Amino acid sequence: MTRILSRRAFLLTGAAVGGTALVAGIGGVGYLATVDVDGLNGGAVDGDTAELNAFVVVHADGTVTISVPRTEMGQGIHTGLAMVVAEEMDLPFDERIRVVFPTAAHAAYSSWFNVLQVRPEEASGPVVWLARRVLGEIGFIATGASASTMSLWHPMRVAGAAARGMLVAAAAARLDVPESELRTEAAAVHHDATRRSLSYAELAQEAATLPPPDDPVLKPREDWRIVGRAQPRVDIPAKVRGAPVFGMDVVLPRMLHASIRHAPVFGAGLAIIHNERELRAMPGVRDVTVINGLHVAIVAESWWQAEEAAWRLDAEWTTTEADNESSATLSLRMKAALESESPYENIDEGDVDAALAAPDGRFVEAEYDVPHVTHACMETMNATAILREDGSAELWAPSQNRSTMSAGLHRGMDWAGVSPEEVTLNVTMNGGAFGRRSDADVIAEAAFLAARYPGRPVKVMWSREEDIGRGLYRSQAAGRIRAALGPDGLPLAYDARVATQSILNSVAGRNFPFNPGPDGDALSVEGLDKPYYAIPNRRMHSQNVPSHIPIHFWRSNGYSFNTFFAESFIDECATEAGIDPLAYRRSLLRDSPRHLAVLDRVAEMAGWSTALPPGRGRGIAIDECYRSVVAQVAEVTVSDDGEIQVDRVFCALDAGLIINPDTVIAQVEGGIIYGVTTALMSRLTIEDGAVVESNFHDFPVQRLANAPAIEVSLMDSNEGPCGVGEPGVVPVAAAVANAIHAATGRRLRSLPLAITEMIGERRTRSVLQQGDA
Amino acid sequence: MVAFTLNGRPADVTADPAKPLLWVLREDLDTLGPKYGCGVAQCGACRVLINGVSTPSCIVPLQSIEGADVVTVEGLEDEDGTLSIVQQAWIAEQVPQCGFCQPGFLIAATELLARNPDPTDAEIDDAISNICRCGTYPRIRRAIHRAAEMARA
Ligand code: FES
Ligand code: FES
Repeated sequence: MTRILSRRAFLLTGAAVGGTALVAGIGGVGYLATVDVDGLNGGAVDGDTAELNAFVVVHADGTVTISVPRTEMGQGIHTGLAMVVAEEMDLPFDERIRVVFPTAAHAAYSSWFNVLQVRPEEASGPVVWLARRVLGEIGFIATGASASTMSLWHPMRVAGAAARGMLVAAAAARLDVPESELRTEAAAVHHDATRRSLSYAELAQEAATLPPPDDPVLKPREDWRIVGRAQPRVDIPAKVRGAPVFGMDVVLPRMLHASIRHAPVFGAGLAIIHNERELRAMPGVRDVTVINGLHVAIVAESWWQAEEAAWRLDAEWTTTEADNESSATLSLRMKAALESESPYENIDEGDVDAALAAPDGRFVEAEYDVPHVTHACMETMNATAILREDGSAELWAPSQNRSTMSAGLHRGMDWAGVSPEEVTLNVTMNGGAFGRRSDADVIAEAAFLAARYPGRPVKVMWSREEDIGRGLYRSQAAGRIRAALGPDGLPLAYDARVATQSILNSVAGRNFPFNPGPDGDALSVEGLDKPYYAIPNRRMHSQNVPSHIPIHFWRSNGYSFNTFFAESFIDECATEAGIDPLAYRRSLLRDSPRHLAVLDRVAEMAGWSTALPPGRGRGIAIDECYRSVVAQVAEVTVSDDGEIQVDRVFCALDAGLIINPDTVIAQVEGGIIYGVTTALMSRLTIEDGAVVESNFHDFPVQRLANAPAIEVSLMDSNEGPCGVGEPGVVPVAAAVANAIHAATGRRLRSLPLAITEMIGERRTRSVLQQGDA
Repeated sequence: MVAFTLNGRPADVTADPAKPLLWVLREDLDTLGPKYGCGVAQCGACRVLINGVSTPSCIVPLQSIEGADVVTVEGLEDEDGTLSIVQQAWIAEQVPQCGFCQPGFLIAATELLARNPDPTDAEIDDAISNICRCGTYPRIRRAIHRAAEMARA
């Protein structure tokens, strides 16, 4: 059996490359041994503030600053991880807690979990030892893969417990009593026997000079008061006042603004600007320049002025081999790739060919496909950079990845022939991210322009048209699945193949100094293998289909199409077998009790066995992703003329230990709406090598009026925390397609399931695509 | 020069009369609550109240608001910082995720409730056309109902 090359293996290879160079460069393992990967050492006092460790600062006024080195992009991570610290420290979870994304890249902040996929609470051994130190030293801090809670909940729990230990030790010294007689509550240390209490604010300065406890004592679960109970998000009071600073809101003295026009065809560059003099004469315009020989930047005193000029740009672009590409040619290549004689073999278990060839078996085969789509974060891409006269540089960006921030800043300045001496990186609030903000594209553009105007900050902001039409994309994909059903109607063999443009290959080509190549990209096949279904013979093949279109991480990556393929197909098998889709899946989950419990829960929520009136239907789908198990039932209404409305979506989620239940529910709600938009509405069209769509009028999204009602149920679970940012998206397309089949008897195998047209200025109507009967 | 009232205070702006109010607010008046999301009256992130009417400020030229009363998300709270009922309802329902679109939704909901103190679901569907990519719609619906209830109490 061929193993799937995991994301971990790939990244580890990359880390090893970087790590080897690093170790050689700075003195080897002896040096690495000194790296403080827990962040517990080095308490410090600075004026009124006492830093107890890399995560906790106590101020003299009683407020506490908690450092959460993960990007807040809407998922509530700043609240969830602060809750963990507050729990261990016995801090009331109220407005005295402040959360910041730290500017310094402490080794304890690194996202090594994302690479090793080993939970910190379970990690040991030399590989972990080395990787934590290397990734900590190179400042690999990333927010993505639904991994932030998994990566930091335990380390921050320990940091909270260590801080508490130092405060107790300081109180013991002050009161001259043994630590065992002290307890903590409500941000204070109490000596009950003598009824004396000292607040953390009073103790912090002394505590900061003490060593952390060797083995910080973690609070037993039964004593938890904060974790597991819904807490109000720390960022919401500012967000209802319009107060948070998103990247777009960064304002600096003497700042210049830039708007960009990228070549319409990806890979092309500027040939000539016909009206440069006219543009330069426009009000406020300071410069018309070309970034790295490719894209046109208009620099002005105001962004509006820059954008006004950019609209008037009359430019020609270089020709490329992709100038004749279209959605049609690309789809043909996808379809052809399904016939590839030499696909990459991801899985081959049992004897699939023998089972498929069995003469008396029933055979099911179906092909599916999805188009290119984009993220369309509400805040368009932007970054602000400055190169100071002393050679230092500073960057402000809504970014998911500190490493790509750094790389982008250096790359852009390098285009201008500058290499900054010292670099400060500021991660702002993100107006949505969905994977998009882990790329360095706009950051490099800002850095290039900043290098041209030393001493002046430059903010680059993309228009919505650039964001949708000249950005980064979730790839097209096509899938074909075949099964042979046994006498009981269940598959004896499952043979799945996906053709798509490798995500990792495209991302790595743009962002990393190394590239694992396109084959065996785990991100491109995830969701297709269905290992928890009891199917004796399984095979999974994948085929990379390169194109000129830049592919990027996109909320749930391969699951966003593979789960649509696989869970639609399982429904088709159930139909062929004449078995109810829920009962069919229950049989397939006979060896997977965790999955079965989630499936049963969602069926119960949805009242699966109750009848619906004509024109309405229910569909079900399940998957395991980001260590969570997620099942959904969608309920749809299809009118006689084919107009579709997704009325309700029920979701059961086993996401392990839940830190902040209400935020988890919000993430699932948001994921479902993101997924329903994509299933019903989203399609980008390629013509003459370029994306045709440009704004929300032709790339429509769900709005309040057509958003489904949603019910979410969280399972009690024995697992550690699992991912929650992406699972909500994963099953919804299949659940909706299966519901359409139940309502109409029509099996739709292509996304988007409907054609969406604008009715009036901001209304849409979605009518089902023609499908097979 | 164009003079108008911004969040209860007089504002005088000297800028291109064609400059959209959104950019006047953000670039000339340091009022960063209203956001750019599309520039073409599609998303509603830039909504402000102009004489009480929720309006996408990205398509309103500065010259057209002489003498108008403009309220942005920053102007929803009282002078003393007490949040409006709509803002309080938003907190109670924990509506915002990334929060970027929320200034526009808060404005749209404020106008709706001023005009219709107890809107039905259908009336909410009709009135609120903003876009939220984080998918906060179910909570926005709940928060509008809650605000209506709070106003009655
Ligand atoms: S920015 Fe004005 S409606 Fe989108
Ligand atoms: S809360 Fe993020 S776009 Fe609405």
